[in-house]
Amino acid sequence: MVRCAADPPYPILDDVIRLHHLTKRYGDTLAVDDLSFTVEPGHVTGFLGPNGAGKSTTMRLILGLDTPTSGEALVNGRPYTTLRRPMAQVGALLDAGAVHGGRTAYHHLLCLARTNDIGERRVAEVLDLVGLTGVARRRVGGFSLGMRQRLGIAAALLGDPRVLMFDEPVNGLDPDGVRWIRDLMRSLAAEGRTVLLSSHLMSEMALTADRIVIMGRGKLIAEATIQELTTRYPTLEDAYLALTAGSVQFGAAR
Amino acid sequence: MNMLSSEWLKIRSVRSTGLLLLLSLGAILLGAAIAWMAAGMYDDATPAKRATASIAELEEVVIIVPQLCMGILGVLAITSEYATGVIRTSLTAVPRRWPVLAAKAAVVGAISLLTGSVAIFGTYFLARQVIGDRFSGTYLTPFLDRLPTLAATGLTVCVFALLGLGLGALTRSTAGAVAVLVGLAYVIPMFVGKLPSPWKDWLGSMMISALPRQISGVPFKSSVYGSSLPPAAAVAVLAAYALVPVLAGTWLLRHRDA
Ligand SMILES: Nc1ncnc2c1ncn2[C@@H]1O[C@H](COP(=O)(O)OP(=O)(O)O)[C@@H](O)[C@H]1O
Ligand SMILES: [Mg+2]
Repeated sequence: MVRCAADPPYPILDDVIRLHHLTKRYGDTLAVDDLSFTVEPGHVTGFLGPNGAGKSTTMRLILGLDTPTSGEALVNGRPYTTLRRPMAQVGALLDAGAVHGGRTAYHHLLCLARTNDIGERRVAEVLDLVGLTGVARRRVGGFSLGMRQRLGIAAALLGDPRVLMFDEPVNGLDPDGVRWIRDLMRSLAAEGRTVLLSSHLMSEMALTADRIVIMGRGKLIAEATIQELTTRYPTLEDAYLALTAGSVQFGAAR
Repeated sequence: MNMLSSEWLKIRSVRSTGLLLLLSLGAILLGAAIAWMAAGMYDDATPAKRATASIAELEEVVIIVPQLCMGILGVLAITSEYATGVIRTSLTAVPRRWPVLAAKAAVVGAISLLTGSVAIFGTYFLARQVIGDRFSGTYLTPFLDRLPTLAATGLTVCVFALLGLGLGALTRSTAGAVAVLVGLAYVIPMFVGKLPSPWKDWLGSMMISALPRQISGVPFKSSVYGSSLPPAAAVAVLAAYALVPVLAGTWLLRHRDA
């Protein structure tokens, strides 16, 4: 068959994040070192590693915020930067603190929505989904960390994307917030979405993730299901500590 | 179109914008107040003193206020995103990146052009009303003869805003960009005025505040600035102040890690 000119130059791989020998160097620091793995739909993939392992850098590389030194990261078979309305395909929460404190929650989301042709109705929907409708017209500067995490999650969900990434979303949350995020991650995965969730705490992953990718010092250390790990090690905590023993840079792994 | 409405909402939904607009238009009142005091002093002076008394065109003096305010508006439009980290969200939503800065330039440019025009013409008409035929008829020059200078001076407010935006994109720092902006606009001209000729005139002609009068072809009677550029060249230099930093900033935005 003749290939239509509009066909993407990459094979279509729906709802998949694929890293291919991804490498990122900042000066002398090798933040991500020849990292290859695939994140598939339908479950929560825990992205685990001690502080400084390279998790956040990997996520920035996937989103095209940083350019890899070599290798590539593909989303749905394409580099993220070639997506035209990316929010409809990929949603991400990198840093809940990244909001203008003087802007209201509603305006923060609406500014974002407009860039990707998303309407006001969807903004109201996601505000409702994360439970911020009541404070939508308040300035974000007065929000607690938990409210900011919810706002960040609302932003990630705006385009109703099939692929979602969250960088340490439970950091600093109270038990209620942790529980809420865990349930949300699981329900998003149950809807068949691809969910990549980073953390430096194995205890959190044990309750949320189905599959685990562990990295340390920029390298892939292990890729396994929770089940595989619990059969090989007495506890998940033991598995994590044993696997990352050589990779902890800054003191204890928490 | 959607980029424009997003950036328009961004700038509209923070308090600093309203404050900077209010300050910019406060220049009109400042100009009127100076005119009123000058007129009072003139009226109290002896006829001999009156004959030699002169006054600068006040609208061209107080324009420094909207210039600075809109310059800061341009700076903040981009550096506030770096300071808060929102820039990463913006670039994730628009991975081609350049439309973000282009839309900011359009919005900031439009707001500052309008503000600059209101400030310059508002001050001019109020000052003319107050001064009347005092000061050897400085304000008796027909409006149409003043129009080119006034329009070009109003335009510098827009140039400051785009210059601020470009400097903000280059430095990614509010303090850094404002410092360079103030240095370029007000500190360097002071040094240039002290240079030996022909440098004084040559470089003095390139200063932003020297450009409107070279564009209109009506040189200042006495000024620290030079006036060696023909109108077309002055227009080109003014455009370069506005566009070169924004274009360089766009290039860096596209090629640097966010
Ligand atoms: N923009 C940057 N410039 C220089 N070094 C960086 C930059 N971003 C990350 N690093 C370094 O890369 C390594 C990985 O960091 P990061 O991706 O934040 O790890 P994690 O998210 O797993 O804690 C660290 O050593 C960090 O200091
Ligand atoms: Mg991190």
